[in-house]
Amino acid sequence: MATVKDLRDRIRSLKNTQQITKAMKQVAAAKIRRAEMAQKQARPYADALGEMLQDLIATASHLDHPFLNPGRAGAPSGVLLMTSDKGLAGAFNSNVIRDAERYWRQHGDARFYTVGIKGRNAVRRWGMADRPTWPLNAPSKLQIAHDVAQRVTTDFTAGEIGDITLVSSKHVSMMSQRPEVRRLVPIERESAASEPKGPRGSVEIPPSPEFVLSKLLPKYLEFTIFSAMLETDAAFYAAQLLAMNNATENAGKLIDELTISMNNARQAAITKELLEIVSGAEALTGT
Amino acid sequence: MTVPFKLVTPAKLIFEGDAELVIAVTTEGEEGIMPRHAPFLAALKPGVLRANIVENGAARRLELATGEGFMQALPDRVTVLVDEAVTFEDVDVAATRAQLAETTDPAIADFARAKLRLTGHH
Repeated sequence: MATVKDLRDRIRSLKNTQQITKAMKQVAAAKIRRAEMAQKQARPYADALGEMLQDLIATASHLDHPFLNPGRAGAPSGVLLMTSDKGLAGAFNSNVIRDAERYWRQHGDARFYTVGIKGRNAVRRWGMADRPTWPLNAPSKLQIAHDVAQRVTTDFTAGEIGDITLVSSKHVSMMSQRPEVRRLVPIERESAASEPKGPRGSVEIPPSPEFVLSKLLPKYLEFTIFSAMLETDAAFYAAQLLAMNNATENAGKLIDELTISMNNARQAAITKELLEIVSGAEALTGT
Repeated sequence: MTVPFKLVTPAKLIFEGDAELVIAVTTEGEEGIMPRHAPFLAALKPGVLRANIVENGAARRLELATGEGFMQALPDRVTVLVDEAVTFEDVDVAATRAQLAETTDPAIADFARAKLRLTGHH
């Protein structure tokens, strides 16, 4: 049985751990608020961009762009894997990575692009060390999104990849984050152009609808990547908050259990000592 | 007469209100939009965006250096989407000059030039 000293040491170390997890929990709670705010502030742009694209495709259905057509037949799928840079968030990253791996196995061949250090490490473990990678946290997420979009667009138009698929986390709620696999390119005409919002007659689009579309679609891709980065950020902090909350609670439970064991051990030692003294005294006074 | 006008970047909603006139630099040159303009959609180059806006009944001039983006005019509203938008106060002239000298990216150079033009430095 463990001695009182051993138990006391374990309790002390657990209390230290608990303090760390509690601090990380508070940091995550503060950061999630900022991440959700950034997400919220990007929404007006998302709405306006989606609407412009819808209107444009609705006014000119004959429009064409490489992003609207399937890529080179037989080309590997281009998978953009998005994770966080850091861990300590439960199964947050491993869930996304597992889904990306499953997608890859199903499709046989895939070229990976990663945003986030955890995803980069996973892809390296799979033996693809030279795939392009970007960090999730950077001074300008917009710049990163721009670079990523440019790179995948170049590879798509060159026929190196046949599509662009995003595997990232969906921030369902504070308690739930779910991996999501989304096809970014080719863009489905139907999803891009649902019902136009009423008759708008002829629209003046200088110099040509094709030209404006060739500007809008890359921007749409870039912004979709940007907003996925914001969502991954928010989902990561939510997962971390949950993980650290559980860790703090578990540490508390362990501390309680060990404290009881320690008290029992201490009481047993005292009882034993008393018994020895009493029986010693009795032996002396014994007739 | 005014038209509802909205200026947004991915980072935030810069302005939402009423405007009498919105002038932006499209890929085809400057374009001014007034209320009841015919439906219009164009891509924007980095440049200086100007708008005569009406806030609390008072007319005011809005001037910003903007990055690449799009402008859409509909009978009932005008929407401008840009990568970035900065006001006169936000421009660091020395830093912008240095950026302009350094960069090889034409989009960044154009935006830097727009910022300098906004502050009156050419």
